[in-house]
Amino acid sequence: MQPLTTEMILVMLMIGVAVFLFVVEWVRVDVVAIIMMVTLPLLHLVTPKEAFIGLSSNAVVSIIAVIIIGAGLDKTGLINNLVAPILKIAGRSPSRIVIAISLAIAIISSFMQNIGAAALFLPAVQRISKTLKIPISKLLMPIGFSAILGGTITLVGSSPLILLNDLLSPFNLKPFDLFDVTPIGLALVGSGILCFIVFGRIILPQGTKDVAEEPSNPPGTDSLQEFGEIYELQTPENFTHYRDPVRVEDLKRRYLVNVVAITEPPDFKIISPSGEMVVRSGVDLVVHGQERDVTRMAQSEDMLLKSNLEVFKEDVAAHASGIVEAVVAPRSPMDGRTLDQINLQGRYQVTPLAIYRRGETYRVHIGDLLLRVGDAILIHGTWTRLQLLQSEGSLLFTTPVDVELMRPEKAAFAGLWLAVALIMILVFKIQLSVCLMTGALGMILTAVLSIDEAYRSVDWRTIFLLAGLIPLGIATEKTGTAAWIAQSVLEATGTVKPIVLLTIIGLLSTAFTLVISNVGATVLLVPLVVNMAVAAHTDPRMAALVVGLATSNSFTLPTHQVNALYMGPGRYRSTDFMKAGSLISVVFIVVMIGAIYLIYGV
Amino acid sequence: MAIITISRGSYSKGKEVAEKVAAQLGYGCLSREVILDASDHYHIPEIKMIKAIHDAPSILERFGRGKLPFIAYYQSTLTRWVQKDNVVYHGLAGHIFLKGLPHVLKVRVIADLADRVASEMKREGVSEQEARTLILRDDQERRKWTQSLYGVDPWDSSLYDLVIHIHKFTVANAVDFICHAANLEQFRTTRESQQKMDDLALASQVKAALIVDHHLNVAVTSEYGNVLVYARADDRATHKLKEKAKTLSREIKGINNIEVHAGVSMPPDAL
Repeated sequence: MQPLTTEMILVMLMIGVAVFLFVVEWVRVDVVAIIMMVTLPLLHLVTPKEAFIGLSSNAVVSIIAVIIIGAGLDKTGLINNLVAPILKIAGRSPSRIVIAISLAIAIISSFMQNIGAAALFLPAVQRISKTLKIPISKLLMPIGFSAILGGTITLVGSSPLILLNDLLSPFNLKPFDLFDVTPIGLALVGSGILCFIVFGRIILPQGTKDVAEEPSNPPGTDSLQEFGEIYELQTPENFTHYRDPVRVEDLKRRYLVNVVAITEPPDFKIISPSGEMVVRSGVDLVVHGQERDVTRMAQSEDMLLKSNLEVFKEDVAAHASGIVEAVVAPRSPMDGRTLDQINLQGRYQVTPLAIYRRGETYRVHIGDLLLRVGDAILIHGTWTRLQLLQSEGSLLFTTPVDVELMRPEKAAFAGLWLAVALIMILVFKIQLSVCLMTGALGMILTAVLSIDEAYRSVDWRTIFLLAGLIPLGIATEKTGTAAWIAQSVLEATGTVKPIVLLTIIGLLSTAFTLVISNVGATVLLVPLVVNMAVAAHTDPRMAALVVGLATSNSFTLPTHQVNALYMGPGRYRSTDFMKAGSLISVVFIVVMIGAIYLIYGV
Repeated sequence: MAIITISRGSYSKGKEVAEKVAAQLGYGCLSREVILDASDHYHIPEIKMIKAIHDAPSILERFGRGKLPFIAYYQSTLTRWVQKDNVVYHGLAGHIFLKGLPHVLKVRVIADLADRVASEMKREGVSEQEARTLILRDDQERRKWTQSLYGVDPWDSSLYDLVIHIHKFTVANAVDFICHAANLEQFRTTRESQQKMDDLALASQVKAALIVDHHLNVAVTSEYGNVLVYARADDRATHKLKEKAKTLSREIKGINNIEVHAGVSMPPDAL
C-alpha cells in the first residue's frame, strides 16, 4: 500500500471541507462546487485545464441538452397530454392515483431530469388533492420518491447514471447501454410504490382534510377559485327547437355562468364570445362558474356536462388561459365608465366575470356598473389577450400573467426531436451528449423553443454543481487518494464475498449521497469502488453501477432536489422523511443487490 | 293551462263571465280573496287596502309614500296566488300586474252604458240620472287610478288580447270565446312562461319585503331566481339595503342570488 502523501491529505481535507459545507449549508451547494473548482488548481492538486474540464464533459453537456428537451416537451403541452389520461384512469382512489402518477412520473423521469418531472407534476398533484380532498402529504412523498426511483430506469434518467460511463472510461471498462439498468430500475420503482401502498398508512403522515383544503397555490389565485371553475358542456340537438333564441348573456343572467368559449358550426372556435351571440344546438361551450350554477344550467337546459375539457382542451386549458384579478387604477381612463362603454370584451376578447367592490361581489349585469378606482374586476381570457390588456395600463393586475405561453402546435416537432435523439442513442450509438444536443438543437431550429428560452430553461446551479465536483474526482484519482481509501476500506473490510462488497458499496454510496450531492458522491466513489472491486476480484463495472444506482437512494433526508422541492407543499418535516425514507432505503439496497445478483450473477 | 285576467267595469257582467269561465275550464276564480290575503299578510286593515288600491291617488298622496306600498303588497299577494296557474282573476289591474307573461290571456269585458245604468237603478233604487253619475264617476276613478300609477289608459284596447262588448254578445257567448282562446297553443303554460311567472312572483315578494323595511325607492327584477335590486344612489341607505337583501336571500324561498346595484339606470320592466 502506497504511503499517505501531503497531496492525499490535502485532497481528503478538501473532500472533508466539501462534505462539511454541504451539511452546514453556509453557502449553497453549487457554490461549494465552484470553491472546489477554484481551490484545487490553486493547491496544485489538478491542472487549470482539469479544473474546468467538467464544463465541457459529456455528462454536463448531456444534462444541459436533457433540460432543454424537457423544456420543449413541456412547452408544447406533451407532458400535460400525458397527465390527463392518467387521471382519467386513476379515478378517485388515493392508492390508484398514487400508483398511476408514480408510474407516470417514473417513466417520465427515466428520460428527463427527476427534478423537472417532479416540478411538472407538482401542480397536478396539488389540484388532485384539493379536488378529491385527499391530504397532499399522502400523495406527494410517494410520487416524489418515484420520480427519484424513475431516474434509475435508463442511463439518462439521473445525473449519476449519465456520469457513469464517463467515470468508467479512465479505467478502460466497457460502458453501459441506455437500457442496461432498466430491469433493476423497474424493480426499484415497483418495490417503492408497493411499500407505500402496503405501509402507506404507517409511514406517511396522514394529514387532515383541512390540510388538504389549505391554500397551497400562490397568494391571490385561490381566492379566485371561489368564483368558480371551468367546465365544458354540449347543447342538445333540439336546444333551439320551439323556443326563443338563447344568447350568451341570457345564460349569464339566468344561471350566473360565463361562456368563455364556444364552437360555431361547422368547426370554428370562438374564445370570449360576445353576449349577443346565440347558442346553437349541438355546440360545445366552455363556461366559468360555480359548480352548483353550472349543474343547474346543465339540468335546466338539458346540456351534457363533460367531466373534462375535450374540444377546448388546448384552447382553454390552464397553460393557455386563466383568470386574473385586475384593479381599476387611480387616474385610470376606466374610472367613471362602464365595462359596456369601454367595450372590454370586444376590444380585448376577454370575458369579465365579476366585479368586487367594498366586500360586495357583482356578477349580474356588470356591464352597466360604473367603475370606480379600487374596483377589482375578475377577467377570464387567454394569456396573450390578458397580457395585451395589462400592457395597456389602465388596470393593475393583482394576479401575475407572466405565464409561459404554450405552443401546442409544435408538439409534433418536440416529439419528433425526442425520437431523433433516442434513435441516435439506441441505433447509431453516437455519444450521448451529441445525440441529446442534436435533439435540443432540433427543437430550437423548429421553433419549439427560442434559443433564449432554451438558455433560460437550463438550471446553472445543477451545471456548476456537476462541473465543479468533477475536478474533485480527478484530484481524488490523480493523487492516488481514491486508491488509498479503497485499499484502507478493503483492508478494514477483510476478504468478503462480492455480494457483501457490493452491499457495503451500496451502503457507502447511500451514506455519501445523503450528505453530498448524488453527482458528487458518484464522482468521488466510482474511482474508489472500481479500485476496491479490482482488488477484491469483483466485477468493477458492477461496483460502479451500484454507486450509480445507490446514489439515487436519497430518501432519509430532504437533501435530494426532488425531496427539497416537495417538502414545502407536502408540509413534511425531516422526521417524515426519516420514517418513510428509512424503509424505502433499506428496500432499495435489498432490491438493487438482489436484482444485480439475479441479472448479472455476481 | 293558463291564467286569465278579466278587466271589467261596474255592472259589465264581467264577474259573471269570470265565474262561468272558471267553472267551464275547471280553474280557480280570484278577486276579493287577494285583497283579504294581502291585508292579512301585511297587517293592513281591509278597508284601507281596498281604498288604497281602488281610489285614484290624491294630490298629496302623489308626493308622499302614497299608495306604492299597498300596490306592492297587493301585487306580491296576487302573483303568489296566480303562480299556481289555472286561474281566472277578475280583480283590479290584472293585465298590469301580470304584464309580460306569455300565458296570461288578458280580457276586457265591457257593457252598454244604458244596460249598466239600468242595473244600477235596479240594485241601488236610484234615479236614472243618479245611477249614470255613479257609474261614470266609478269608471273615471278606475281610469285615473290606472293612469296615475301606471301611465296607461285601461280603455286602451291594445292592452288586451280580447275585448268583449256584452250587448249583442251574451254572457254565454263571452264565456265560449274566452274558453276557446284560453285553450289556444299560445296561451299554454310552458316551462319558460312558468319561469317568468315565478320570477315575477319572486321580484314582487322581494319588492314588498323591502318596502316593509322602508326601502321605497328601489326597483326589482328577477331572472331564473337571480334577483337584482336597483337603488338610486350609493349612499348610507344603500348599505342598509344591501344588508337587508342578504337577509332576504335566506328568508324568501327561490332566491338563487341577490345583488344590489346602485346608481345605475333602472330597466323599464323592473318592479
